Amino acid sequence: MGIFFAKKKQPSRVTEQDKAILQVKQTRDKIKQYQKKIEQSLEKERLLAKELLKNGREDRALLLLRKKKYQEQVLTRADGQLENLERMVHDLEFAQVEMKVVDGLKTGNTALKQLHALLSIDEIEKVMDETREGIEKQREIDEILTSTFAVEEEIDESEIEAELDALTEADINEKAPEIPKDVLLPDVPKELPEEEKSRTKEKIQEPIAVMA
Amino acid sequence: MAEIEWPWQYSFPPFFTLQPHADTRAKQIAAWKSLVLEYYRITKQAVVDVREIHTNSLFNNTSINRKLPSEAVLVILEELGKSGNASPLDKTKQRWLVYWHTLEEWGDIIYNWAQENGFIGSVCTFFELTQGEDTSEQEFHGLDTEVLIRSLKTLEAAKKAEIISFDDNQGVKFF
Repeated sequence: MGIFFAKKKQPSRVTEQDKAILQVKQTRDKIKQYQKKIEQSLEKERLLAKELLKNGREDRALLLLRKKKYQEQVLTRADGQLENLERMVHDLEFAQVEMKVVDGLKTGNTALKQLHALLSIDEIEKVMDETREGIEKQREIDEILTSTFAVEEEIDESEIEAELDALTEADINEKAPEIPKDVLLPDVPKELPEEEKSRTKEKIQEPIAVMA
Repeated sequence: MAEIEWPWQYSFPPFFTLQPHADTRAKQIAAWKSLVLEYYRITKQAVVDVREIHTNSLFNNTSINRKLPSEAVLVILEELGKSGNASPLDKTKQRWLVYWHTLEEWGDIIYNWAQENGFIGSVCTFFELTQGEDTSEQEFHGLDTEVLIRSLKTLEAAKKAEIISFDDNQGVKFF
């Protein structure tokens, strides 16, 4: 197979297989031509038989029809052979495609082998071990850093929360009396619902501010 | 075989006599050239035999009783040869091949067909190309084998195809 493809690069790119395909195709063409010939003579004989019948020569017409029948049989046989030849051509062409596939796989395989030759297992193991060590070290560092921070945060949070609670309460107390003053101008019935809304808004906003 | 639409010159008697005046003659020859190519395109013929031209309605207009003399036919064929549309088949220049596409154009047309139909890398017989069912819609269907071989040779020179010929097998492989 290697020889087959190496040959293609040289002046003559026609292979033995190509010649075989050509020969088969040529035979197919000959059968096709033969069929054309028979078809034409069939048509002629049919007309001739009609003519003979008109002239009352039934015996000759019968003879012609018998000949016609025989030729039709030949035609169907030729059709079968034609099919065989066509299949042969397809098989040959497909075999060539398969060869190309195998060749492609071979090239890929050698390329892969060359790449593998560059990488030794020991080296990879060493690299992997070192990487693993590095990752572990990193994890240790991370653990140390996160643990110290966590302790501080816990303490901070409880204190901060308490402080914030105090602040928010003071805030609400401060703001509550102020709101009626601002909203006094509009109509009286709208007073109560607006007060509630503004309070809930403040409550939602405050925790966000803390988190940040 | 489709009927050709004759140009007005065809029924103009002086058209069948080679004109002495240079300018007129050039125009006359140009008109003949395109008429010859058109005629051969429509009738799908390829060979001109100078000895038999008058059996052909192209050089013999029976309705006005005019024939183009064979010397004039030769002049026209020589002119066609200069533009790559004809070439003599023998040394005495009695038989000529006429191609209404130049050989390079034919080569391109066939190669384009091969490309569009996935015939690159496969083998085709000449019969398949000019008579096969796959090409019945193509312009080169019914093309003269000699013209086909010559146009394939232009493809061969361009490394796009290779003609295979052994024993009595003839075919072409496209690349």
